[in-house]
Formats: sequence, structure tokens, C-alpha cells
Amino acid sequence: MSLENQDWLSAASDNQPLSKAQLDSLLSSAQLQQTLERYQMLGAVLRHETQSPLPASFADDVAAALQNEPTYQLTNSQSWFSRIKNGVAQAANGRWLQPVAQGAVAAGVALIAVLGVQQYQQPGEEMLTPQPMLQTQPIAGFATPVSLSQTTVSDRFAEQEQQAMLEQQKRLQALLNAHRQQVRVMEQAQQAKQQNNDGPKPNEP
Amino acid sequence: MMRTSGVCSAIVLMLLSALAQAEQVGWQLFDKVQYAVKHYNFDTSFVVLKGSKVDTYRWLHGQTAGQEIEHLIPLDTSGVDILRRDALVYYLLTDRPAFVTRASHIPELPALLFEDKDTIRQLYNAVAGSSSVMSGRSAQLLRLTAKQGGRYHYWLWLDAQTGFPLRIDTLSDNQNALERWLVTHMQISPELPENLRALMAADLPQPADNSVAAAFNSSHQLTWLPEGYQPVAEPASIPQLEGSLLSYWLLSDGLHQVSVFVQNSQRLPTQAYRDGATTIYVQTNAQLEVTVIGPVSIDTARQLAAAVR
Repeated sequence: MSLENQDWLSAASDNQPLSKAQLDSLLSSAQLQQTLERYQMLGAVLRHETQSPLPASFADDVAAALQNEPTYQLTNSQSWFSRIKNGVAQAANGRWLQPVAQGAVAAGVALIAVLGVQQYQQPGEEMLTPQPMLQTQPIAGFATPVSLSQTTVSDRFAEQEQQAMLEQQKRLQALLNAHRQQVRVMEQAQQAKQQNNDGPKPNEP
Repeated sequence: MMRTSGVCSAIVLMLLSALAQAEQVGWQLFDKVQYAVKHYNFDTSFVVLKGSKVDTYRWLHGQTAGQEIEHLIPLDTSGVDILRRDALVYYLLTDRPAFVTRASHIPELPALLFEDKDTIRQLYNAVAGSSSVMSGRSAQLLRLTAKQGGRYHYWLWLDAQTGFPLRIDTLSDNQNALERWLVTHMQISPELPENLRALMAADLPQPADNSVAAAFNSSHQLTWLPEGYQPVAEPASIPQLEGSLLSYWLLSDGLHQVSVFVQNSQRLPTQAYRDGATTIYVQTNAQLEVTVIGPVSIDTARQLAAAVR
């Protein structure tokens, strides 16, 4: 053992930095390690550190315990399904999952309700479209013919015929107006008739 | 044997009483609708749908102590303002003096809402139907079904709360809707509408008393009448047709009116027209042209035209 060696070991025990080569030699040589330990103990005695916090053989105990420890082989043998199952099983007990799960259940119920209502409405759609029973008949203009003319109209007389039809519409409009006028004055006419029968009555206010 | 017949008659009795009760409920609803249009202060708008033709009106009604006023305003350009104060109806024309007549209701409104219930009861069965939602209000259906064929049916939807009519459909014999009367806006208020207050006090002309019925010395005869109809004795004269009209009858069943005109033939084909629920039927032969106008089925109109001798 060289003096030079002991110098840097002594320095190391006084918390001086070590070079890489020195550290390597320290790690490889048990003799150097024991020397360092001795130096540390000397320092401790000089600093009046009478009690060491750890027993002297602490490092050896740890090394021996590691030697006795069985080796654990970590493999990916579990299938993804069982892993998810385990994950969910763990998470289900966790506090965060419960509200989320409740929300999911509510959303599912709402979805079923919406789909159900849509399906329920599908047959009802024909109810919404106007039924022929309540449809008013399409009529253009003043009034439409509901029975066609029984006489055939030859092309030569078509224009003349149209003119006559127009004339007739005019006359029918006049008759319709006359009918409406009759309905309007009917009550008065009947009142007048009654008055004539009963004798004159005082006028209403 | 006795027991079964007893049970049967009990069932029949129960059915009959149920029917009678349904009928009673129907007429109660009818009372409600007639009361609503006569006694409430309201401001409404309604449309009359006749096929593709739509007429829009505003209808106001008000009542104070002892006086009733009603105003019907067509919202289309062609139309006449109609005002009723108690038993006088004024047609407020723009270019001529107002035409005044005596009537207990405006004839341009559905007569069903105003005619005497007993008259209507003779012609119709009333059955309360289901309720539905109409323009955001709860509506109760009331079906008036004609007792005799050839007369139109009515379906009324009433506001469940007030009894005010929301919709009236006129249906033909085979349940085709011919005309629809539909309320688009309705406001019932405890007070008389402001613009009616002014009309209540407005100075309006008196009815002409000289419109005494002119007798038609008819040379023709009507040999058949539809069931329930009676000719109105001495109908008013029709000055604008005096030159061409040979005979005229006005028929009424108390709710509907049908006119039968007889004129000289124009040698035009026999034809039928329809204006909403009003049928216009023209039948022509070598000498005469008979025109029947009224809310009757085409079959009835044809029979009526054929009955002129």
C-alpha cells in the first residue's frame, strides 16, 4: 500500500473530491474501502462522535439480505382484457369513478328514451299529415265545375263556347249575390210580414 | 230465459242512457259556444278556407248594459264592413249610403252560432268528441251530425276554458270537408273594446221600411222539398233580376237557406259548381233554366231542380 494512496484516501475522508480513477480503484479494492472506513472512524473519534448511527456491519448486512432475496420475474402474461378488468375493478372502488358511472347510466337511459320516442313516433307520422277527410276540395277562382259538360266541344266553337261560359259565370255570380242578399234580408222580410199580420208595432230603438 | 232478457234489457238501457248522456253533454257544449259569442267582449280574427280561396276577417263583439254591438271587418280589399247594433245590421258601403236591415245576427257569420237551439236540435245530433290542442289552447270537439241525409255535418272545436269557437268544419254527406272556419287570434276582455265604444255612439241611418216583400206571381210550381225545408212565404224582391226572373223560391230549414231561380233557357249545359259549402247547380232544358244555390249536396240540388214544373 503506497503512501500516495493513503493521502487521497485521507483527503476523501475529509470530504475532498475524488478523481474518476481514484473512485474506480476505491470501488475495486476492498483493502482501500477498509482503510477509508478506518479513516472515517478516526475522524469520528476525533470529532467526538462516540456513537455511530449505524452498526459497523450495516453494509455487509444489506448485501447479505439482497443475496438471499428471491428473484422476481416480471412478464406481460396477463391479457389486455383481464388488465382492463383489474383496472376497472380497482377504479370502481376509487372515489372518482362513482359519479362518472352514474352519469354514464343516466346518459344511457336518456339515449334509450330518445330512440324509443323516435320509434314510437314513426307510425304516428301519418297522423300528422292531413287526412283526406279533413282536406278541403281544391277550388280555383269563384267556383269550379264538379260535373263536366256532357256536350262535346269541337275546336271550331271552342272560343265561342268559352265566351258563353264566361257569360254564364257572370250570370251565376249575379244569382249567388241575389241568394246572399235574400239571406241577409230574410229576417227583416219575415218580421215585416209578421208586422203586417199582427198590425203595426212601434219601431225598435 | 227471463234472467237473460232482463240482463239484455239492462244492458240496452245502460247503453241508451250513456248515449243520452253523451247527447246531453254535446248540447251543453253547444249552449256554451252560443253563450260565448253572445255575451263576451272579444276581439278575434278568423279565416274562411274554401279550397284554395282564403278570406280573412276581424270580428269584434261587445256588450254593455242592455246593448250589444258587433263589427265584422273583412281584411281583404274587396269586402264590406258589417256592423250590428242589437237587431239592426249595417253594411257600411264606401260609395253608397249604408244598407240597413233587421237581423238578430250578422248572416255572414256562421249561422250555427246564433240560431235557436231547438231548431238545430230538430236537424242535428250533438256528440262531444275528444279534446286536442289548437293554437296553444285546449280545444274540445263537438260534432253536429245531420239527422237526414243530404244535409251537411258540422264539427266544432271549442276553447275548453271559455267555450269560444276556435274552428268550424263543414263536412259533406261523405265526410269531405268543404269549408273551414278557423280562428287565428282571440282575445276576450272584461271591458268593451275601445273602437266599439265609439261605434256604439255613432249616428247610423234607420232601416228602409219600404222593403216589404214583393210577391212573385209564379207561373211554375215546386213539387218537391228536401226534408226539413219549408218555402219562405213572400221573399223579398230582387230588383236586379226582375227582367229575367220567371219564378223564385227561397227555402229554409231554420239554419240553411236555398234559393231556386227559374229563368229562360240560355241553352247551356247542365252544370254544378261549388263555392265552399255552397252548391250552385244549373239545369237547363229547352225552355227553362233552373238554378239552385245553397248549402245542399249536389244530389239534393238536382232533385230540387227537377221538381220545378
